[in-house]
Amino acid sequence: MDSITTAASVVAAGLAVGLGAIGPGIGQGSAAQGAVEGIARQPEAEGKIRGTLLLSFAFMESLTIYGLVVALVLLFANPFAG
Amino acid sequence: MEPLLASSPVTSDANSRNGAGDLCSSKEGSERLKLSGDLESSETSSGDLSSEYVLLQLRIFRINLAVTALAVLVSILFVDLNAAISLLLGAFSGIIYLRLLAKNIGSLGKSSSSVGKAQLIVPAALVLVVAKVPELHLLPSLVGFLLYKPSLIIQFLLEPYAQKKSG
Repeated sequence: MDSITTAASVVAAGLAVGLGAIGPGIGQGSAAQGAVEGIARQPEAEGKIRGTLLLSFAFMESLTIYGLVVALVLLFANPFAG
Repeated sequence: MEPLLASSPVTSDANSRNGAGDLCSSKEGSERLKLSGDLESSETSSGDLSSEYVLLQLRIFRINLAVTALAVLVSILFVDLNAAISLLLGAFSGIIYLRLLAKNIGSLGKSSSSVGKAQLIVPAALVLVVAKVPELHLLPSLVGFLLYKPSLIIQFLLEPYAQKKSG
C-alpha cells in the first residue's frame, strides 16, 4: 500500500467514525431524555417505554456501527491496498 | 349461589389469619390496611414492569435464534460452509451486542444517567477477528450481526398477538 492510499484510508476512517456518530449521538440523547421523562411521568408504563427505547436505540446505533465497520475495513482489510 | 358462599369464608379466613379482620373494625386499622394495600400494589406493579421488560428481551432472543437458524440453514444450502460459519459468528455477536444494549437501557435512570457505549466493542471485535482469520468472510459476518434487526421488526409485528395471549 503506497503512502497516499494509507494516509487517505486513515483520514477516511476517522471521518467515517466521527461524522457517522454525530447524528445517532444527538438522536440517542434526545430519545433517552424523552424516555426518562416519560418514565418519571408514567412509572406504570416503564416496561413499554424501555422496550420502545431498546428498539429505537438498536436501529439508531446501527448507523454508528456502519461507520465503525467502514473505518475498520479501511484500516485492517483495505480493498484498495496494492 | 355457590361461588359467593365459597368465596366469602375464604376471604374472612385470610383476613383473620393476618389479623386484618380486627384492624378493619377501627378507623386507624382501615387506614393501615389502605397503606399496606397501596404498598403491595406498587410492589406488584414494579415487579410486573421489570418482568415485562425481561419478557420482551426473552421474546427478542427467541426470535433472533429462530432467524439465525433459518439464515444459517439457507447459507449452508445455497452458499458454502465458511459463509455459514461467518454468519453464525456474526449472529452470535449480534445477540451479545443486543444483550449489552438491553442491559444498558435497563440501567438507564436507575444506576446511570446515560446509555453506555460498551456494546460497540462487539462489532469492532467481530470485524477484527474476521479480518485476521482468512477462512471467515466479512460480508456474511456483517449480515449475521445485523440479523437482530429483522428480529426486532418481527417482534414489533408480533407484539399485539403476544399481548392478546398474555392478557
